[in-house]
Parts: sequence; C-alpha cells; structure tokens
Amino acid sequence: MPDYGKLLRLGTEVGRWLMLSGAEIYRIEESVHRLLNAYGTYPEVFALPNCLIVCVTTEEGESMTRMVRVSAKGTDIELLERTNDLCRRLCREPAPLDEALALVDGLGDHEPHNPPWLVLVGYILTTAFFAFFFEGDVWDAIAAGLCGLAAGIAQLYGKKLMGSNLFFRTALCSVLICGLSLFLCRLGLGHSEDAVTIGGLMVLVPGMSLTNAMREIMAGDIFSGLHRFAEVILVATAIALGSVLAMILGRVV
Amino acid sequence: MELLLSCLPPALWGFLSCAGFSLMYNIHGSGVLVASTGAAISSFFYFLIVDAYGSEVGAAFLAAIVVGVYSEIMARVRRCPTTGYLQVALLPLVPGAGLYHAMRYAVDGFYQTFLNSLVHTIGIALALSVGAMLSSSLFRALLPRLPRLPRR
Repeated sequence: MPDYGKLLRLGTEVGRWLMLSGAEIYRIEESVHRLLNAYGTYPEVFALPNCLIVCVTTEEGESMTRMVRVSAKGTDIELLERTNDLCRRLCREPAPLDEALALVDGLGDHEPHNPPWLVLVGYILTTAFFAFFFEGDVWDAIAAGLCGLAAGIAQLYGKKLMGSNLFFRTALCSVLICGLSLFLCRLGLGHSEDAVTIGGLMVLVPGMSLTNAMREIMAGDIFSGLHRFAEVILVATAIALGSVLAMILGRVV
Repeated sequence: MELLLSCLPPALWGFLSCAGFSLMYNIHGSGVLVASTGAAISSFFYFLIVDAYGSEVGAAFLAAIVVGVYSEIMARVRRCPTTGYLQVALLPLVPGAGLYHAMRYAVDGFYQTFLNSLVHTIGIALALSVGAMLSSSLFRALLPRLPRLPRR
C-alpha cells in the first residue's frame, strides 16, 4: 500500500512548481492527475490560478486532501520545461516515492536563471523595438529603451520599496515609465511621445495575460479565466491611472 | 511583392523585441532563437493579412493559427511544452497597447470610445486564443498518424 501522505505531497509540489512557472490550469490539473495515476491512485484535482486542491481515496475508503496556495506570479519557461520533463519521466517510470520527492523538491535549486544584467538587456530590447512597432524612429526607440531600463531596475530591485501589492507596484512603475518618457520627449530625445510611452509600457501591459485568460475560458476553466480577466482589468487600470498621474505631474512641473 | 517586403520590418522588430521578452521569461540558449523566430513569423503574417484584407481580428486569428502550428512542431522537435514558444511568439500581436488605450479612455471619461476599444481588444485576444487552440487541437488529432521523432 502506498504512503498516501507522501503521494499527495508529490502531487501538490509538482502542481506548485507548475503554478509558479505560469502554466495553464488544464496543464496543472492534467499533470497532477497523470502523475498520481502513474502511482496507482485515482485523484481528484482542482486548480485555480492561486490555489491547488488534490484529493485521493485510500484503499480503506478514507479520503485525504491537501491544498497549496501560491501567490507569486510570473512566467518562468525554464522552470515549466523542467517540471514538465520530470513529471513525464515519473509518469513513464515511477521512481520510489522518497526519490521522486527529492527530485521534485530539488527542481528550484538547480534551475539556471538569466543573470540580472541579461534580464535588463531584455527589458531594453523589448521596449526599444516595440517603439518601432508604434511608428517611432530611432530616437524614440532609444528613449523607450531608457524607460524600459528604468522599469526593469524598479521591477528587479525595487520590490521592497514598492510593496507587494500588484496594483500599486504596477501603478508606480507606470508613473515612472510615463514620467520618464515625457521628460525625455521634452528634452528632445524622443519625437513621438505616444511611441515612447507605449513602447515603454509594453513590459507592464498585461496583453499576454488577457490572451491567456481567454484561453482558459475556451479550455473550459471559466472560473480561472474570469479570475485572470479581472486581474488584467485591474492591472490595466493601474497602468492608465499611473500614466494620468505622470501627465498631471508633467503639466504642473 | 511590395506587400511582402513591407511586412519584413515588423517581422524584424517582432523578432528583436521578443528576444528581449524571452530573456525576461527565463528562456535559455537556442530556445531564445526558436521563440523569437515564432514572433517574427506571427508579426509577418499579421501585418501581411492586415494589409491585404484589412481586418485586425481576422489577421490575429490566422496569424495565431500559423504560429500555433509552428510552436507545435518546435515543441515536438525539442520535446518540451508548447506554452513557452506560443506565449512569446504571440507577444507582438497581443493587444497590450489596445488595453492601455482602452483604460486611458475610461480614466479620461470617454466611455463610448472606451467600450469600443475594449471590445476590439477582447476580440483580438479571443481570436488569438481560439486560433492557437485550433491548431494545437488539430495537431493533437493528427498526432497519432504522424511519424514519431527519435528520442534525444
């Protein structure tokens, strides 16, 4: 008879890693379900964007439940690929439970991260070339790249200063980007204020989350889809409010 | 021909900006190249169809189908989930700017324009997700009939 406590822990930990990496709900539910199936149980799995509940019934007919709450959000494709890989491997040839648990617990430790400077380069590249998308010229791209750099530094190092609330953090970053783009355009570096501002804001704007929300709804996870949709609207409102604040500051100063 | 050439610069911008995004999303090595090539393909097809046909929602839908096929193939070749490539590859089309404009109209009090652009934005997001899902389910249906790739 398997150790159901450990089995549940295995399932929920795999789910937790998948959630932290920004996987879709159906992928989380399916992965945990298949994994526990491979170990000979028939679980019920329910996932929301910030919560995962797994329930199994033991051979004596008792049911056991374990729930994890996940608050961090973000996209980490490397972690997603590693977790998915491990999950498939365990489904193909289930390792002894303790070994499998050690493997799952070690997922986050050995994960390579891009160094901060490379992430900042990412911010600059993204904002600079999105400025071209919105019909900016080379100078606009440079200005947008500077805004992106500022936003990247704020996101990477300013978490303590800005607090953990998503709404306020986004609004503050938006004030920073819009204020900086106004300033740079007044200095004469950028020519099209619109291109610089939107190019810079592309790192904040939740366009991807909106598409993901629609995908969840289409896949039948309507609750999760609505959850994400509400979050998207909140974040977009925060960005708009931040940009208005920056405008007002620009008029006053 | 002229139409095709006019879509090349957006493809290049898409490629470079999404290389930046893949660095932010912790993609490594050749994965960056694969994901940003997807972004180049998506923006190329999007602008091509917008120029040729005029409908942004339709263009987003068709471009999402093309990118969906591309990322399913890449996921089979590299043996990893499609999500990563698909997310980055769709980024140039994703209606971030539309969402921002919509909320700006709301904050500034232009409610009619706000509703217009919000509905348009949701339409594009829906088209993208339906397009991507369509090609991935087609792929899954066809998969048992396709030759299997050797395990690495």
